[in-house]
Amino acid sequence: MELQDTYYNKSEYVETASGNKVSRQTVLCGSQNIVLHGKVIVQSDAIIRGDLANVKTGRFCIISKGSVIRPPFKKFSKGVAFFPLQMGDHVFVGENTVVNAAVVGSYVYIGKNVVIGRRCVLKDCCMIEDNSVLPAETVVPSFARYSGSPARLVTALPEAMPDLMTEFTKSYYQHFLPTTVN
Amino acid sequence: MAYLTQLDYVKYICSCGQLKPITSLYFCRHCLKIRCGFCICHEVDSHYCANCLENMPSSEARLKKNRCSSCFDCPSCFHTLSTRATLAQPRQPVDPAGGDTKVENKQPKKMYYLSCFNCRWTSRDVGIPDQPVASGGWPERANPFATRINQLLDYYKAIALQEKQEKLERERKKFSIRGKYITLTDKTGLTGAMARNIAGLPSNEAGSSSAIANFVASQASEEVEQLPDDIYTKEVNLKQITSMPQRLASPEWQPASVARLHPVAKLLSVKRSQRCRACDHNLTKPEYNPGSIKFKIELLAYYHVPEVKIISHEPVKPGEKTALLVKLTNPTGHEMQLRLLQPEDIPPVEDREEPRSIEKSLERSLNLEKDASACRAIERPPSYAASSVVATPVGALTLAQRDDAAEYDDDTQHDADHIILWRKSNKLALRLEVTTDASAADGAPASTAFAIEYSYRNTVPPSSTAAHHRDHTLYTTVLLDLGKVHA
Repeated sequence: MELQDTYYNKSEYVETASGNKVSRQTVLCGSQNIVLHGKVIVQSDAIIRGDLANVKTGRFCIISKGSVIRPPFKKFSKGVAFFPLQMGDHVFVGENTVVNAAVVGSYVYIGKNVVIGRRCVLKDCCMIEDNSVLPAETVVPSFARYSGSPARLVTALPEAMPDLMTEFTKSYYQHFLPTTVN
Repeated sequence: MAYLTQLDYVKYICSCGQLKPITSLYFCRHCLKIRCGFCICHEVDSHYCANCLENMPSSEARLKKNRCSSCFDCPSCFHTLSTRATLAQPRQPVDPAGGDTKVENKQPKKMYYLSCFNCRWTSRDVGIPDQPVASGGWPERANPFATRINQLLDYYKAIALQEKQEKLERERKKFSIRGKYITLTDKTGLTGAMARNIAGLPSNEAGSSSAIANFVASQASEEVEQLPDDIYTKEVNLKQITSMPQRLASPEWQPASVARLHPVAKLLSVKRSQRCRACDHNLTKPEYNPGSIKFKIELLAYYHVPEVKIISHEPVKPGEKTALLVKLTNPTGHEMQLRLLQPEDIPPVEDREEPRSIEKSLERSLNLEKDASACRAIERPPSYAASSVVATPVGALTLAQRDDAAEYDDDTQHDADHIILWRKSNKLALRLEVTTDASAADGAPASTAFAIEYSYRNTVPPSSTAAHHRDHTLYTTVLLDLGKVHA
């Protein structure tokens, strides 16, 4: 099925020169530490915690409504340190999902209502199904589809995953249109 | 991607008759046929640990029983265990003389233990001592049945060897009987065993059978240990008893109580390569590095066969015409000519069978061709019941080649054509009309099928001997799911 158009209120979203579309109804803490690499959509009520550490996303990332992107921390003997959060290109983060990962590779699909625990590493081309919980410090290998709580490998992904994800995020961006006022 | 999150609305018919979405199909460009996971050979390319992404040669993987030596799974919830560090005060050696101990001894030492971040199980729970090194060095438990397993292994190896020898012997005999000249041993009735005996060599039966002779088969005994007297009266604490999956995670020990759970070494994952059964060419071959997502060979249907996607359709009603919008995409780097057909209009395979290459016929005549009977996929007619018929446009459509730069120019061409809705680089949207059976029941699944005839340019470098065809006309059948019939 081809993606349907999703419309947004033009006054609600800010579009940058590089094509990022960021809702005004978001909480972007420490915005000087947040780098969105172009054509990224950040939808309403999303939270990006740039005040804790740097957050970097690649191109064509989609951060859906109500999701939280939060750099992970590690406890040391002398206090706590936060680590930067890196996200690759063509990453989809579903609604009401909390991402505490250290690294999210490229071509990653994270469903809705998912919790990605502290310092997880999501390699390129993996998928976390809806309503899963990934405990802290989990490594998700490439071409793996994880599901459940704790999330476990359920099946492998098709070899064309990079192209499928590219197509998906690009067409999502193309179908994410401002409502035309006639 | 929508393929992974949605139902499979569009299915292709594989050459073996399976119905699959285009993402799980392969395209052999040597046979020019669509293949699916059921009609190809899957091979293990390399072993790696999914947690530490360490590569392991297959011989080493077999030696380590396909388990990683440094990563462990939680025996309680099967999540990966993490190593945690603590500062441990080394125990003060008590000086019997009562002298003061040195200050350096009080230096805290880093000790490591395993901990599960999901269920909070730790290696300390079961009394595994902390380790001074971060990875490895965890005590390995000896398999209680190790000697018996080794005995069995030796026994079966000996049997396999014996059978192999017997087979060789038989083959040799068959050959010698069939031979033109009768050998001296055959004429005189002197068998190989006797000849060996005369020559003073140990007979081959005796040589191989020491393991077989010494083998003791296991005996089933009727005497079983009695149940303890308090089995019915003792209160059961379910928190102390392991679950079935927990026991089966370590089959050698099968711990019955939680106190005896030990970390389970993590199982290795594999990278697979696929091979066409008919022509033995690789369909996919991943790169060796476990972290890499690239492929050396990647012959997927998604890159070679025109892709059909449903854009939208009207609700299907019995006896009525329904408008259906589909998107066709040409994934190849060459221009493609397309024609929509009814599935039954596909010419039979024999009519378009290309002449066999000289190489191939030579191979066949010399019997070099692999005997494929053992692994041939059974071709069967696809089973589908299309309740609706697509009115297929007669004319041929031309689809431009894939152009990655095309996304930057946004001019969508709206054709005046009543069939083609729009056209954009290598994609076009078609307006089709579907006629549904008047007899279709309310709520029955609505589906329709059509065939596509498409031109395909083969880019395999031509071999010197084979007559090479560059342009082919190929056929594929597509089954569309249109939801349910609304009466």
